[in-house]
Amino acid sequence: MGLFDSWADLLSAATPWSEAEAEAVSGGTGTAATPARGNVGDELQGASAGDKSAGQEESTPKPQSVGKEDAADEKDDEPEEEEEAEEEEEEEEEDEEEMVDPKEKFEEECKESKQCAPAKHHFDHCVERVNNADKSAPHEDCVEEFFHLAHCANECAAPKVWAALK
Amino acid sequence: MLSRSYLRSMRSVGAARNAAVNTSKRAASSSSSTANAASPFALNLAGTTATAVAVGTMAWYYHLYGPELHAMTLAEEGLHATKYPWVHEKYLKTFDHQALRRGFQVYQEVCASCHSLSRIPYRSLVGVTHTVDEAKAMAEENEYDSEPNDEGEIEKRPGKLSDYLPSPYKNDEAARAANNGALPPDLSLMVKARHGGCNYIFSLLTGYPEEPPAGATVQEGLNFNPYFPGTGIAMARVLYNELVEYEDGTPASTSQMAKDVVEFLNWAAEPEMDQRKKMGMKVLAITSALFALSVWVKRYKWSAIKTRKIQYTAPQMGGRNAPKH
Repeated sequence: MGLFDSWADLLSAATPWSEAEAEAVSGGTGTAATPARGNVGDELQGASAGDKSAGQEESTPKPQSVGKEDAADEKDDEPEEEEEAEEEEEEEEEDEEEMVDPKEKFEEECKESKQCAPAKHHFDHCVERVNNADKSAPHEDCVEEFFHLAHCANECAAPKVWAALK
Repeated sequence: MLSRSYLRSMRSVGAARNAAVNTSKRAASSSSSTANAASPFALNLAGTTATAVAVGTMAWYYHLYGPELHAMTLAEEGLHATKYPWVHEKYLKTFDHQALRRGFQVYQEVCASCHSLSRIPYRSLVGVTHTVDEAKAMAEENEYDSEPNDEGEIEKRPGKLSDYLPSPYKNDEAARAANNGALPPDLSLMVKARHGGCNYIFSLLTGYPEEPPAGATVQEGLNFNPYFPGTGIAMARVLYNELVEYEDGTPASTSQMAKDVVEFLNWAAEPEMDQRKKMGMKVLAITSALFALSVWVKRYKWSAIKTRKIQYTAPQMGGRNAPKH
């Protein structure tokens, strides 16, 4: 595993976009401490700011690569919280109405659609036939017709449901 | 298979018939004295009859053995679950851990009253759905048997991270007795244990119709669910809109809860999935690089052999009459 980790580290170091994603979070927390130290140093030692900033740039990547696992953990949490905040606002607006299950809603729409018209027709026909049949006639049920209709509605609704769900 | 062997025998019968016709033809042509021994009409009739018999027997055979037989009706098989576009099933995607957390909440608040999840310890939730402190707090809510004390009595102690999620029943018999004889199965590996996996469980949870279709008989104590083989399932519909209040504010519609809990159960069955996919990518990357390298090395090593030219100059034969090049 050590080999693979170091391989992944090399890869992430080589790729130009890695810094923006994984390293940015820990860089933010890490640099929050280091510039403060740099400022103190400026006041005390009176060294030029250019030298200090160059020194920080050299020193900061090391803690990043060491604390990579911590960075990954933090990365998991923080962006998601931002997303939640956005989604919560949207959801509050929706909550005011009676909640409708998206799956049921889309499947009802799909059952009425042209795609499922044959299955719907057969099912309705069967229901009518079974309900009107006299009891002496051989028993019949509409399970097969129901299956075909449900299958059609599911197939039609599946992508829409997934688009609506989180 | 049977029909194929039968057809083969039919072909040989046809060949025999052809041979017979040919010999009679040959006989007819060679012996002109027997006038009209085999007239064209008789030959045509014989051929037509033989063909009709052959076709007829094949049709009869197909009628007997040809059509596919189903031992079970569609209802007994159950409705095949539709394939849903699960994000975590894609090659380059991981579990949505926010969904796992919601799914665990649904499991705990809804499923856990009947279904155990006996292979999942609290420690495995750490870093996946909960933080260490949260997992510890959840574990401490339950009591487990401790080591025997000095008198040999086994006392209860609060749970630790290493304890497994508590089961709702002491054993399978108790579970059956409490559920009309039907055993609520353990859900730890359920996604792997059922044909259709996530799709099946999601469809099962959300697929309870308002009422069974006309004419369908549902045994007492059972509920109609098209996805369950036999359509009669002991578990009633449990997920209703807003049954659970998500802590992240996600609207808890029936399908949202089902989706989350199924994703959580998939994690329970395959906790290694994220790592497995990552490792798979590494394996592919490294092996393809090594393969390219090996191709290059092979070509390099063989280049001397592949590019050499063998030239043969024929020796000059004889003197003046030798062919000139």
